[in-house]
Amino acid sequence: MRLDPVTLEVVRNALPAICNEMSLDLQRTSYNMMIYEVRDYCCALLSPQGELWSQNVGGVSHFVADLGVVIRDGVARYGSNGFQPGDVIIHNHPATAGQHLNNVVIYTPYFHAGKLEAFAAVRAHWIDVGGVSTGFGAGRVADPWQEGLQLDQLKIYEAGVPNAVLLKVIRDNIRFPESSLGDMRSQIAACHLAQRRLEELFQKYGSETLHVAIQRIFADSEHKARAVVAAIPDGVYEAESFFDHDGVTDDPVPIRVRVEVSGTDMTIDFSGCSGERRGAINSRTYAGAMVAYKAITAPLEAVNEGSFRALRVILPEGNIMMARYPAPMAAWSAILPTVVDTVLLALAPALPHAIPAGHLGVLGGSIVFFGTDPKSGRPFVVQSIEGGGWGGRPHEDGPSASVSVCQGDVRNAPIEAIEIKCPVVVLQRAFRPDSGGAGRWRGGLGLEVRVQNLVEGRWNLNQTGRRKLPPWGLFGGQPGLPSDNRLRLCGQSESQSVDVVRHWVPAHSEAIICTAGGGGWGDPLDREPERVWADVRDGLVTVEAARRDYGVVLRPEGGIDAEATQALRAQLRQVSRRSG
Amino acid sequence: MALWVAVDIGGTFTDLLAYDPERGTMVQAKSPTTPRYLSDALFHCLEKLDVPPAAIALLVHGTTIAINTAIEHTGARTTLVVTAGTRDIYAIGRGNRPEAYHLFFRRPEPLVPRHRTVEVRERMLATGEAWIPLEPQAVTEAVNAVTATHPEAVAVALLHAWANPQHEVMLGEALKAALGPDCFVSLSHRILRQYGEYERISTTVLNAYVGPRVRTYLVQLSERLRDAGMPGPLLIMQSNGGVMTPEAAIERPVMLMESGPVGGIIASAEVGRTLGFSQLIAFDMGGTTAKASLIQDGQPTMTSGYYIGGYASGHPAMVPVVEVVEVGAGGGSIAWIDEVGALKVGPQSAGADPGPIAYGRGGQKPTITDANVALGRIGAESFLGGEMPLDAQAAQAGIAAAVARPLGLHWVEAAQAIVAIAVHTMSLAVRQVSVERGHDPREYALLASGGAGPLHALAVARELSIPTVIVPRFPGHFSAFGMLWADHQHDFVRTYYRRWEDLDLQAVWETLRSMVAEAQAHLHLEDVAERVVSRWALDMRYVGQEFTLAVPVSDAQLRSGDRAAIRDAFDALHERHYSHHAPDEPVEVVNLRATIIGLRPKPPRPRWVATESPRATRRLVYLFGHEPVSCPVWWRDSLPSGFRVEGPAVIEEYASTTLLFPQDVAEVAQTGELIIAVGGTTADAP
Repeated sequence: MRLDPVTLEVVRNALPAICNEMSLDLQRTSYNMMIYEVRDYCCALLSPQGELWSQNVGGVSHFVADLGVVIRDGVARYGSNGFQPGDVIIHNHPATAGQHLNNVVIYTPYFHAGKLEAFAAVRAHWIDVGGVSTGFGAGRVADPWQEGLQLDQLKIYEAGVPNAVLLKVIRDNIRFPESSLGDMRSQIAACHLAQRRLEELFQKYGSETLHVAIQRIFADSEHKARAVVAAIPDGVYEAESFFDHDGVTDDPVPIRVRVEVSGTDMTIDFSGCSGERRGAINSRTYAGAMVAYKAITAPLEAVNEGSFRALRVILPEGNIMMARYPAPMAAWSAILPTVVDTVLLALAPALPHAIPAGHLGVLGGSIVFFGTDPKSGRPFVVQSIEGGGWGGRPHEDGPSASVSVCQGDVRNAPIEAIEIKCPVVVLQRAFRPDSGGAGRWRGGLGLEVRVQNLVEGRWNLNQTGRRKLPPWGLFGGQPGLPSDNRLRLCGQSESQSVDVVRHWVPAHSEAIICTAGGGGWGDPLDREPERVWADVRDGLVTVEAARRDYGVVLRPEGGIDAEATQALRAQLRQVSRRSG
Repeated sequence: MALWVAVDIGGTFTDLLAYDPERGTMVQAKSPTTPRYLSDALFHCLEKLDVPPAAIALLVHGTTIAINTAIEHTGARTTLVVTAGTRDIYAIGRGNRPEAYHLFFRRPEPLVPRHRTVEVRERMLATGEAWIPLEPQAVTEAVNAVTATHPEAVAVALLHAWANPQHEVMLGEALKAALGPDCFVSLSHRILRQYGEYERISTTVLNAYVGPRVRTYLVQLSERLRDAGMPGPLLIMQSNGGVMTPEAAIERPVMLMESGPVGGIIASAEVGRTLGFSQLIAFDMGGTTAKASLIQDGQPTMTSGYYIGGYASGHPAMVPVVEVVEVGAGGGSIAWIDEVGALKVGPQSAGADPGPIAYGRGGQKPTITDANVALGRIGAESFLGGEMPLDAQAAQAGIAAAVARPLGLHWVEAAQAIVAIAVHTMSLAVRQVSVERGHDPREYALLASGGAGPLHALAVARELSIPTVIVPRFPGHFSAFGMLWADHQHDFVRTYYRRWEDLDLQAVWETLRSMVAEAQAHLHLEDVAERVVSRWALDMRYVGQEFTLAVPVSDAQLRSGDRAAIRDAFDALHERHYSHHAPDEPVEVVNLRATIIGLRPKPPRPRWVATESPRATRRLVYLFGHEPVSCPVWWRDSLPSGFRVEGPAVIEEYASTTLLFPQDVAEVAQTGELIIAVGGTTADAP
């Protein structure tokens, strides 16, 4: 059938609009900051074959196009005739979902004229799923049973009737049932909203027209991505990085990436990466490749099945990102920002004007402190995700204090919002001077956040895993300053670097969370002295670093000493030629 | 002669309306805006109309000076004063990257650099208790540090000043004493007593940053009007849909950001009220964008803040503003084919210069206006009352070359597709303020304004099954019209965080009354208004949620402690917005909201008298399909009240055109509006 251009545009706009409306409602009605601030969720519409029709904009990016596997598994389990209106399915099983158990998928079937046409799905991070810990996820566990409840394609509503037994099992085995079940209610409402919106579309255009339009939309997305890849010179591009440890052993975790560009096709091969680990940083995910590919090909376009058709990802079974059940996955996404950055690093020689230097490479500096407020008798959890530096760019400095490439619209917790609810005082949230890697274009700065707990409680202060390999510079730029977590116990005068979880501390102790700065882009000796002086005047770069890293000499009363700068830079260039 | 005058100084044009309440007559003028001396255009308009300033009993003014200063970064040299340890909060913001995959995403550009941000040793807690008291020495050090930056404006935003503003007050007094009256000092608690330090800092900085320029402008304008002999007062339009005195505007200029556009929404509410439509969707389509806004029970919908420059990279301004959804579809929006052969309309606009192809000023790219001219929906000979002939042939040729040929369509199909895509985009905006907020458009009337609004309103109404369309008088000057009917309005919010079970409604009542009393102590609304009334609301949520809903509460509910009614109203509001609620879950109160309204006398509505007997010409108009239909083209000024026009038909007036499809029936109201019963269904949409 022939598709008119108006219908095509209407459908092209309508599908993301449905997902974005699901997202907004979920955010506004959710009960935990992992959804309303961290945006740790995704909303999607999928075909019964698991093809992604559309996904919301603005959630965390490492959920990109990853619900198909859950839908295909559910349809295989129940059969394509095994669903009826009013069904609600819950799933977080790592054997298929491949993530930590906190990421709970709720999906519902959509029928039009008696035929199963689509699924609406919402994956969202529950604050608690039982197991050893609460909040961001269990972190250091040995297996999924320590981590919490495993829910494997269960109908929590069947034809509109709630499964009371299953609900009670969940309610009795998680710490904050009112929060998580409130979130589940919001997830179900978002799916039902999508069903109503889909019905309007199907009523208006009919099934056949919609399917033709959707296939055309997929083809358009594929075509756009291919056009971008076609402009990259053919070749094989490789890069390597590593993560400090897996949380159990201190052996570095190698990340080796091989990207092959051939015409309009791109293959990202992760075969050289670490195998699955005893520590919980395993996953089953293509996100490391897909986020990088999306950033290069169509960063501002809506996501659908066509967005990744021209991408081939090689991830053999047993790889750290294709781990076999029951490998622990509690910290499933920890390495992904570094994986994305490594794919970009590989492509930098091919796309020298489209790739920034290395960014913080981790999911931010995380603040987690929990306990019971003795005044109210109520439990509390302080949670925030703090950004770090992004790498210098081919044409400007890197942004400071921003979340990683996998996190998108994740927002830090306001100091006043934390203190209104929890017995802590945030003493400082400030830039770390000299943390941005020096370069022709400087890396963005990391943060130093200091929090004093007014009552006793437990801190999670685990080091990030990117301390031995700080965010890298590009084309002669220097690396950024690595992250650190420090603790000063009440009564001590000095803080110490620590790597602890659920660590009990007395009242009036102080935690210091430092995030990494981004790498520099290009030779710092080529940076205009005026920019270096502006950074010194703003306190972002110290006078000593201006001299040491940039060869810029400043006058004691302020301003640039042009002659001394010229002489110092000539001398430093000579040194680097001799050593280089 | 005592005239009520409204003037809307926009970026391109200055619109002026002069209304004579005794005779019920209204005249209008338009003049290019004069950026260097903004008030020149106002006086040009008065001269055009031959209105002497001595005849002006009241001048209401909407201005884009505040928003333009913020967007163009042409504000004052501003210094920011914050609590020790929070110097970088303004630059850090929330650390988010809304454009998740964009490797070169840009954060908002701070309006104050780091070296002009001064830390003060002091610290309040959320309880309002001073954890580190502000010592005199710390005040002196801070004042010295601020003075050394030679500021034109200072923003003071200390942590938890919403809970206890004492330290801000102390610093404010010391700064004013040291810097003198010329320096513009803004204290965060005077702008916004609400938790969330980044958003409060940003709002206070915006206020300080635009303050000196707004002050200079308003002082000079007041003087110039007084010197010219204007006897009446000057009132300024605010983003919340109310007016305020120039003195109040100078203290809180951040309230002026949306001063221009809200006039149209106030006008919509007023026209709806007199015609008996209290549930309305205001729809405005101009040259570059279209806007939609919901009016419920005669009240425009408010939102508690927005981002100047857009959510991703804009500056938060957390002050109440009339909620508007804006999309990039206006008469000048350009139609184009993207790299995969899909037809797109907007958001790029041909603007006023060169403008659409049909204007013959060098425009080469087909626009929505060109599609309408080619289809005969806009009259090539009758545009702007015939003052500006349009080139329909060129518009048709442009569409054929840029759209029809690449898509393999007939030029008529291509022009119809351009209009249909624009209509769909605008329908999404109307959906967003209605369907997506739990309001059924079938229970609303669509009130269409702006030069291009009445031309597309019937198509938008069909998309969403809206049964009635209203086209007001002066649709092209509607924003200025609304300003004449606006009341004084001041909104205050204060964080008041309590569990529902711990909440004492009597204490809430007293706090709200003290907020009003405090505001009234310097607003003196009773001196400028007929009557002063207040409205209250509680921002509520289920325990554990972050986002709140504002639940309106009455004096009686608060005084009698009617907890159940308030709780039920919250559950019902949650159900309406999100289609679910939880009557057994605990709830909490986060903020108290007080709105003080100074009611102004409402002039009688202008009478409608047709200037001549009804007259129509005919022309060929393409509606559906390839064959044009011969439609009557009525001159609106000739249609008396009670006159009925059946579609298909075109109704033309000086600055706008209304298009009726078959089965649409328009009737002229007593006061001159067109009230149109929408016929047919979606399937008939063009």
